[in-house]
Amino acid sequence: MEFFIKHKTIVLFILFTLFCFISLSLQSSGVTNVVEGAGNAVIFPFQKLYHAVQTNLSLLWSGFSQLRNAQEELEKTRLRLQQYESVAEELEEIKRENEQLRNLLGLKQRLKYDTVLATIISKDPDNWFRTIIINRGSSDGIEVNMPVVAFFGDEKAIIGKIIEVRGSISRILPIISPDLKIGVVFQESRYPGLLSGYSAIGKLCVIDYVDKTATIKPGDVVITSGQGGVFPQGLLVGVAIKSFPSESGAFQRVLVKPYINFDLIENVVVIKKEPDKEILKLIQDESQL
Amino acid sequence: MILMYIITGALLLASLIIQGHSSFDVLRIGGVKPDLVFIIVVYFAYSFGSLYGEVTGFIGGLLHDAISNSPLGLLAFPKMALGYIIGFFGRSIFKENLFTIFLLIFFASVAKGIITLILCYLFHQGSLSSITSIILPESFYNALLSPPLFFLLDKIFEQELSREGR
Repeated sequence: MEFFIKHKTIVLFILFTLFCFISLSLQSSGVTNVVEGAGNAVIFPFQKLYHAVQTNLSLLWSGFSQLRNAQEELEKTRLRLQQYESVAEELEEIKRENEQLRNLLGLKQRLKYDTVLATIISKDPDNWFRTIIINRGSSDGIEVNMPVVAFFGDEKAIIGKIIEVRGSISRILPIISPDLKIGVVFQESRYPGLLSGYSAIGKLCVIDYVDKTATIKPGDVVITSGQGGVFPQGLLVGVAIKSFPSESGAFQRVLVKPYINFDLIENVVVIKKEPDKEILKLIQDESQL
Repeated sequence: MILMYIITGALLLASLIIQGHSSFDVLRIGGVKPDLVFIIVVYFAYSFGSLYGEVTGFIGGLLHDAISNSPLGLLAFPKMALGYIIGFFGRSIFKENLFTIFLLIFFASVAKGIITLILCYLFHQGSLSSITSIILPESFYNALLSPPLFFLLDKIFEQELSREGR
């Protein structure tokens, strides 16, 4: 005992090292989940509090500074509303016409899903991982593998998917993470590929397995393919920046700039779409092989 | 002494919360943000020795792992190990001036990054491009912030430092 007390620094170093290596070897086991849960329980209440205080203070400040412009904005908005009312009627007509045409073509009407608006309360504090924490959880009906989007203008652009759900918070794995793989297609040419985060430049994504004969131009729009069982078809992902041959030379790789700026994003929308469990199981089985 | 432990815990907690808040992303330079928790760990090792450095590094790193998506131990081990090593040399070798503090944090951050990269290769997935995209920019950013932070922490722990004869 005296030996341990005398050499407590090196004894603790060995114990801590053992703990780290054992928990790294037993990733996502019961023991590590308990320790992670305890750590979350310590930090997240403070994170929520900090977020609430910061948000309220900025709201108060912006309230003061924007009061003067409010009257002017109101007038402009009234004018715009009048214009939009006429546009809305036109849109209604186009929608009806579109529905008729879809029926004629025998196309299945795209499914509409419920959505949950959420606010980002924190992001991964480290540079090695880029996950995002939102203020909605299982109590709001959110489940693992639900897709998450944000608004880019009037269109929905993809953010990532839910990978962890607790009572009132959830964790999103964004598309800029190399851990997330999504089936995508080029909107114009319809060439498919597999998108993931580009580890060399944290803000970009890369599409693998693109046919080497495909002509990809900078600015080509990339959308979700709907394959993979998680993301609905046709969601905006980003635009192509450049393409280059893959290491094997059999395919080409395309760098993509996501529509969403992940450093500035504050609010997201979770699409309550349950994943296609059969497809997910098939993918998991294949990855275990 | 108990007050020092409380302040240390509060500092680690505050840095994790600030570092994890979305508004902190505005401070990203070259896609990276500084690791405040690591700067604090190095400060404690540098000022109060290996034991305090490794314990602070382990606890700070575990909390960091818990709220991050990293496997438990991946961020804790490098912080703990560097806390232990830097504590050996401390102020006896790295005399306190702006340049040595800058160099100490820069090289400590590079070492932390390389250990993390090796652990990523062994237990998660690693890419050599992380050296230029994460390790070097983060090390430089940490080093840039360290002199004012060390000055601030010296003021907070003035009494403890004089008690330790630093």
